[in-house]
Amino acid sequence: MASKFLGKSYKTFLNNFVSLTIFLFLWEILSITISSPFFPNPLDVWEAFLILLLKGDVEGISLTTHIVASVSRVLLGFGLAVVTGIPLGLVMGLKRVAYGSVRSILEPLRFIPPIAWIPLAIILLTGCARYMLIIWLGAFFPILLNTMAGVQTVNPTLIDVAKVFGADKKTIVVKTVFSNALPEVFAGMRIGLGVGWMCIVAAEMIGGEMAGLGWLILKYGELLNVSGMIVGMVLIGIIGLLMNETFLRVEKRVFRWRREVTL
Amino acid sequence: MTLSKCLEVEKVVKHYSHNGKHVHALDQVTFHVHKKEFICIIGPSGCGKSTLLKIIAGLDRPTSGEVRFQGETVKEPHPKISMVFQSFALFPWRTVLQNVEFGLETRGVPKAERRKIALELLELVGLKGYENAYPKELSGGMKQRVGIARALAVDPEIVLMDEAFSAIDEFTAQVLRNEVLELWEETEKTFILVTHNLTEALEMADRIIVLSTRPAKVKHEYHVSLKRPRNRSDSKFLRCQKELFNILKSELEHTIVRHKLKAIHEHFKIEDMESFQR
Ligand SMILES: Nc1ncnc2c1ncn2[C@@H]1O[C@H](COP(=O)(O)OP(=O)(O)OP(=O)(O)O)[C@@H](O)[C@H]1O
Ligand SMILES: [Mg+2]
Repeated sequence: MASKFLGKSYKTFLNNFVSLTIFLFLWEILSITISSPFFPNPLDVWEAFLILLLKGDVEGISLTTHIVASVSRVLLGFGLAVVTGIPLGLVMGLKRVAYGSVRSILEPLRFIPPIAWIPLAIILLTGCARYMLIIWLGAFFPILLNTMAGVQTVNPTLIDVAKVFGADKKTIVVKTVFSNALPEVFAGMRIGLGVGWMCIVAAEMIGGEMAGLGWLILKYGELLNVSGMIVGMVLIGIIGLLMNETFLRVEKRVFRWRREVTL
Repeated sequence: MTLSKCLEVEKVVKHYSHNGKHVHALDQVTFHVHKKEFICIIGPSGCGKSTLLKIIAGLDRPTSGEVRFQGETVKEPHPKISMVFQSFALFPWRTVLQNVEFGLETRGVPKAERRKIALELLELVGLKGYENAYPKELSGGMKQRVGIARALAVDPEIVLMDEAFSAIDEFTAQVLRNEVLELWEETEKTFILVTHNLTEALEMADRIIVLSTRPAKVKHEYHVSLKRPRNRSDSKFLRCQKELFNILKSELEHTIVRHKLKAIHEHFKIEDMESFQR
């Protein structure tokens, strides 16, 4: 069993290694064909990465500072989305009337992209609150909607079971409805974190602080330093991937009782 | 022998209206159950057996009439009445042990004591060593053992069982039936089992309540005078079976078409779900 599993993951690793190599190769060919100072090849980007890592950016700010700044901002906005989205989702999942009554507000709100809020955020808010609003907007709805959906998947028989064995309303909500919804809630959090993370560039456009991967990309864009820009982009991608993988692994462990969570 | 009345089902009527469609499920159902009796309720498919059990369990209220437990009207689930479900209805996110502990948790039993009771019951139903397994890791028969342990953990006076043996293979079901009978003989508990299975009813019950087609009335109360332990191939047993079958026959003839349609319907529903999951 174990050796089979290892063999499989080794093969997956190999396959990914091969496709990555091909990707870099094609990129290299493309850069030779285009042959423009604004289209760097993989090596240029690697070089830019090393410079950023060792010497910091044009202002002398280190790469770790940028990464820490972005990650902590996203976690703040995400945290806010968790503490607002889960209780609201629970209430609206339990009370169809509540959801029905606010649908006309919620549904249109959900389709306004976080970027569209930027001017308003600039006018109304300052500093950290700006970041938090933009990231919260991205993370909130997946968490809310998934929690709501999860609440509704509870098998009515299980509620009967809880009642027969003496559960009061609160116990039914916590130990039956919410426990049942937890995998969905987690999936919502994973998706919300991803969307929140994707809002980082938008948020850092307006934060007014000289740190963060989004800020780095914008700054290097102004300087026409395309390699540096791409370093920022790739880092955002890789960190997003790591966060998602971490979440999936946690889910796989926590929800052992459920059918397998596929990676 | 004087027996005390433990449960009284008095003229219970139940109407449902669902999407404008009106269903008259129970019509003046009356019967009494004594302490430590083993009662089976049989009746045609869809006649309202589960509805009746739900009303006894306090999960549903009758349209009129009442159910009294130890003289008091049942309006909500009573701590001394517990239930075993056909589809096992275990909490999938709880381990076997945590499932058995559930009723004790809601009653505020301290953790150590809860654990002790649950472990004892798991040993009793033959699931020692599976305490930390999750329901998805168990076979149907094992799941129902957990269901039975969970129902017994709260030390009930009455155990309600809704077709508790119909979703498991016949061999395991037979083993479980014997175990339940043993349990029943050892304790003072009253059992009420809803079943489709005539042989099962004859094997287990002191008294069989035969319900009619919908709206369900008590068509007959059949006292099973066979000595225990009962043997399915015994000639007396077979005679009783024939007698009971004749009582049921007229009712079955009414519903045979409906029953078949339902079976076909369910068959397709299950197939659809399987192909969906694939
Ligand atoms: N909550 C409900 N709302 C509306 N109708 C219901 C409800 N519960 C049961 N019914 C109807 O009441 C009737 C009796 O249902 P019930 O499940 O009690 O029958 P049953 O004898 O247990 O059937 P089976 O043998 O299939 O288990 C059915 O026609 C069913 O459709
Ligand atoms: Mg039923």
